[in-house]
Amino acid sequence: MRIQHSSGVLAGWFVIAVAVLMASPAAAGEVTLTDAGGRTVQVADTSRILAIGGDITEIVYALGADARLVGVDGTSQFPPSALKDKQNVGYMRALSAEGVISVGATLIVASERAGPPEVVKTLKTTSTPYVEVPDQYSPQGIAAKVRLVARAIGAEAEGEKLVSQVEADFKDLAVGTQRIKRPVKAMFVLGVQNGRVNVAGQGTAASAIIELAGGKNVADAMSGYKPLTEEAIVELAPEVILIMRRSSGNDAHDTAQLLEIKGVQSTPAGAGKRVIMMDALYLLGFGPRAPRAARELMGRMYPDLGGALDSGPAGTRTGAIK
Amino acid sequence: MTAALPIAAPIREGGRLASAHALVVFSALALLVAAFLSLSIGATGITLASLPRVLTALATGQHDAVSAREQLVLFDIRLPRLLLGMFVGAALAVSGAMMQGMFRNPLADPALIGVSSGAALAAVATIALGNGLAAPFTKAFGVYALPFAAFLGGVSTTLVLVMIVGRHGQLAVGTLLLAGIAIGALSGALTGLISYASDDRELRDLTLWMLGSLSGASWPKVLAALPFALLIMLALPRLVRALNGLLLGEAEAFHLGVDVDKAKRAIVLVAAAAVGAAVAVAGVVGFVGIVIPHLIRLVAGPDHRVVLPGSALLGATLVLLADILARMLLRPAELPLGVVMALIGAPVFLHMVIKRGVGGS
Amino acid sequence: MLEARDLTYTTGGSILLRGVDVGVQPGRVLVLIGPNGAGKSTLLRLLSGDLKPTQGAVLLDGRPLGAYPPSDLARRRAVVPQASALSFPFTVLEVTMLGVTVPGFGVSDAEARKVALEALASLDMADLRDRSYVHLSGGERQRVHIARALCQLAMPTWRSGETRCFLLDEPTASLDLAHQTQVLATLRRQAEAGHAVLAVLHDLNLAAALADDIVLLARTQVLATGSARDVLRDDLLSDAYGCPVHTNQTPQGDRPFVLPPAVFATQATRATRSLPNDSNSRVLAN
Repeated sequence: MRIQHSSGVLAGWFVIAVAVLMASPAAAGEVTLTDAGGRTVQVADTSRILAIGGDITEIVYALGADARLVGVDGTSQFPPSALKDKQNVGYMRALSAEGVISVGATLIVASERAGPPEVVKTLKTTSTPYVEVPDQYSPQGIAAKVRLVARAIGAEAEGEKLVSQVEADFKDLAVGTQRIKRPVKAMFVLGVQNGRVNVAGQGTAASAIIELAGGKNVADAMSGYKPLTEEAIVELAPEVILIMRRSSGNDAHDTAQLLEIKGVQSTPAGAGKRVIMMDALYLLGFGPRAPRAARELMGRMYPDLGGALDSGPAGTRTGAIK
Repeated sequence: MTAALPIAAPIREGGRLASAHALVVFSALALLVAAFLSLSIGATGITLASLPRVLTALATGQHDAVSAREQLVLFDIRLPRLLLGMFVGAALAVSGAMMQGMFRNPLADPALIGVSSGAALAAVATIALGNGLAAPFTKAFGVYALPFAAFLGGVSTTLVLVMIVGRHGQLAVGTLLLAGIAIGALSGALTGLISYASDDRELRDLTLWMLGSLSGASWPKVLAALPFALLIMLALPRLVRALNGLLLGEAEAFHLGVDVDKAKRAIVLVAAAAVGAAVAVAGVVGFVGIVIPHLIRLVAGPDHRVVLPGSALLGATLVLLADILARMLLRPAELPLGVVMALIGAPVFLHMVIKRGVGGS
Repeated sequence: MLEARDLTYTTGGSILLRGVDVGVQPGRVLVLIGPNGAGKSTLLRLLSGDLKPTQGAVLLDGRPLGAYPPSDLARRRAVVPQASALSFPFTVLEVTMLGVTVPGFGVSDAEARKVALEALASLDMADLRDRSYVHLSGGERQRVHIARALCQLAMPTWRSGETRCFLLDEPTASLDLAHQTQVLATLRRQAEAGHAVLAVLHDLNLAAALADDIVLLARTQVLATGSARDVLRDDLLSDAYGCPVHTNQTPQGDRPFVLPPAVFATQATRATRSLPNDSNSRVLAN
């Protein structure tokens, strides 16, 4: 395995990078590809894979390659067996150089969000190929992600199947969203702290999934996750509020806490107690389950469209995780 | 005639001097042991037994996969980490000791002169604005943008403080203390403001940085820290007498020939530079500056001729040992160094305070 | 010689000293006396270089104090303050040695130790040498600082023509009779060794016992300068202290002394308040 470094580290449009993929490997079983950072990486041995990033781990499992997976990062919460069975290198933005090396992987597939930057830099200098995968909150982004991971781990055929499935799921979703007459006004609440409500603005995964599910993010005038005053919440008047389910499952309190806030009570969502709770990684990870998550969200935002949603191939929906 | 005071038994004849020597020797030995352990222990299980193989490979120019990996781990990961850890521990401990001497208070800390909050502010700004306003800066410096910014932020905050407080010539420590707190509060407010404007990922990065870590250790950082290590080694012997004099009080120090204003400025600036550099390479690591000098004083007395070198050696040792724990407790993941330090330091400090009283009381 | 010429010191709008002229000669002991607020400590601080005069000058061997770098001053004058800010647990010996090690006279530790031990012995503190400073009484601490100042003046080699000064602010305030006597004796020895000694004392009798020259300060000005006999006079003291003061002569007739007026209870007051009739009490007619 040899790694050739290109200059610079760009967090660029991966769709363009995909178009530049070099088709023929240099040796039998060896794959050369260009990753999100614009580096050219050659991968020969995919027997021991380290996945850094919850979405990447999901993809590896979905491609059926989890037997070859020797390590994951702390955000790899789906499937639950990932953290149980595989070594955990910790939170993906606080990696330990020697720790990652000690896993003894022959291939590292990492989200571009991995950090700290010095550790990533060191890891790129080892003889183990390090493939950086981009993060994009869009259907094209997911497809590109899946294709790159599949190519890196030598499962391109399964990758195309997964991409087809994801695209089909998105088509189903589109069928549903086209029937929407009026987009529901939705708001995603990251958490409630001391009575302050942290809300997702534009540019967040939450906002993207709301839009994909055919809703409208009422808070898209701001960007990032920000605390809002009660007055602002009243003025935005969401009809539906979306919150995350805790991994521990003790979340009845969260809904109650949210509905206790006077500002929330004055919104249509609060008055009708329309609070939707969904698993965080499922909803926001933008992995292969993203279209299904969006579809489930849509179903819950538009309960009257319920019948119209069952138009997709039955086999693609594998037990939605609530 | 001696006063008949029923106080605790006096220290044995020569006891203090003997303790002092013993302590410095012990600290030096402890540091050697810690350094050895730091190089031999790691998540990959590679030990110094691999050293001959690596050196041979370097000499002959022939590397195989095993020796390349060992070389990477020993020379590119552990060795810079060892050197930076020693620097951080020594710099923080020595700066703490100097602050305590200057403020005549065993609880004084370089944070009082604004260097930590200034460094944090600069770090937040770099993290949050790195892709926006500060993009040219981060592009130019790449991975070193953050340490460089942190250092500049820390030292400039202290400089501003010294200029404000010392503008009429005299650097009054009481005013310095209060102004330092005010500037710290201002930095904190600005940090909060920038955090507010940051997104989730940036906030996480900032939180992690504030917890302190040696995981970003690299040879360029070691080289960057080197001048500050030299600064400390050259400046400290010259400041020992002044620090001892200042313990008696500023008027007394002056009577004993200390140029008090010059000394205070030198102390503040050396401490700021040392801490600025330490925070730049490792984030915010607490407790070293207070616990280590206190331990030294407990055993060997407050004479800075012992406290300064002793603090440097013992501070370096403590950081190395804490870093080993940070790297190994949750392997292959890593705990932030500041967390381990606080877990060790806080109980020790509490114990010291309860048992012996603090400093001179 | 250490002298103050026409010294005036103002701070924060108040005048603390006005037109003061004082001179301390080598080989002599000068004592400053006066009521509180007269300006004695301020004068001492001006003479030691802590404060800069608003008007006038402080000259050491003809040169203004400000012209000497601090290290040079440390070779020529030692100061014993009224109170010390030291709160760290140095041993008594270490504090004493600071008189040598901080100025850094280029002297080995062993030699500094020797000088420190001698100084402590001269003040009867040798067996306290390993005691922690923070455990000492007020009087013991005072003597430690005197010992420290003695070390400071003992070390540097004397260049001829150079005045060396020993300045003390209330060095006997917390001491018992025996130690007071000892300190006075020490000061006298310092003067005999050729140093110029200036002490601020509040006890007029100690001043009379020690001083070659006395300066009486009152209301920020010098009221009188001279020998004990010249200055410790009823009229001058009453004026300075604002209350009637009567001086007496010792039986040998060599110096004056002052007693505070007796404040014993009279027969009459005792009767009205039903106090026990103490046969030992008597009224002293002044």
